[in-house]
Amino acid sequence: MNDGEREGAELDVVLEDAGRFSIISLCGEVDVYSAPKLRETIRDVVEKGNYNIVVDLEKVAFLDSTGLGVLVGGLKRVKPHKGELGIICSQEKILRIFRITGLTKVFPIYRSREELLASIEET
Amino acid sequence: MPPGEGMAFELEMPAKARYVGLARLLAGSIARRLRFTEESIDDLKIAISEMCTNAIVHTGNGDIGKPPILVRYLTGNDFLTIEVKDQGPGFDPRSVLGRERIDLLGKGFGIPLIQSLVDVFECDSQPDTGTVVSITKYLRPETEES
Repeated sequence: MNDGEREGAELDVVLEDAGRFSIISLCGEVDVYSAPKLRETIRDVVEKGNYNIVVDLEKVAFLDSTGLGVLVGGLKRVKPHKGELGIICSQEKILRIFRITGLTKVFPIYRSREELLASIEET
Repeated sequence: MPPGEGMAFELEMPAKARYVGLARLLAGSIARRLRFTEESIDDLKIAISEMCTNAIVHTGNGDIGKPPILVRYLTGNDFLTIEVKDQGPGFDPRSVLGRERIDLLGKGFGIPLIQSLVDVFECDSQPDTGTVVSITKYLRPETEES
């Protein structure tokens, strides 16, 4: 195996705007190898003054506590600005990790992008 | 690999983050051959990811010259045991094993998460001799795939 990146967890990160929210869409696996990519994206969004963030986990195949830690870190960045960090997820295997760690009480969770957009329209 | 056949596999990997996925892949592949359910396979993959991540952190995050991590997969009649051994500085296991999840907001979700996903969790760590963390998950005949 060469020293390339193929053996590490692959994670694609796409950033887009939806009303007052910045949506960070993830595709792949979030672990100790790939989580820094998410951490840097959240940091960049916050540094640009966007304090309402939603991380779309619908296409995430794997998430461990390193990924949870990055999300909690993001929450700590936006809270002082009265911002919000939520997640989009309907995958039971991912939601279960949030339940086990008690984080369903910490993050707003939208079951779909449509649910998020409907919530934006209501406010 | 038919269920019921005891086997052992070993993976010696550099203490680097990029190889955690490889240990996870092997755990998932072995568990699938043992006919664990997809939910149990997901549990095992998270557990080994946490164990390897901790081992890498203890071993110096892949600094040049740091010793490798040894991952052992042991299969039996109705179980899969995975051991992760690092050669880091070690710590007092009592300092982490009793922590409540409510105290862990922000970091340190790993060990409570492992404990909630597997049937047996053991940790043996001594200063200067490294750490061995072991998990076991049992096949449950009434729920696992036949």
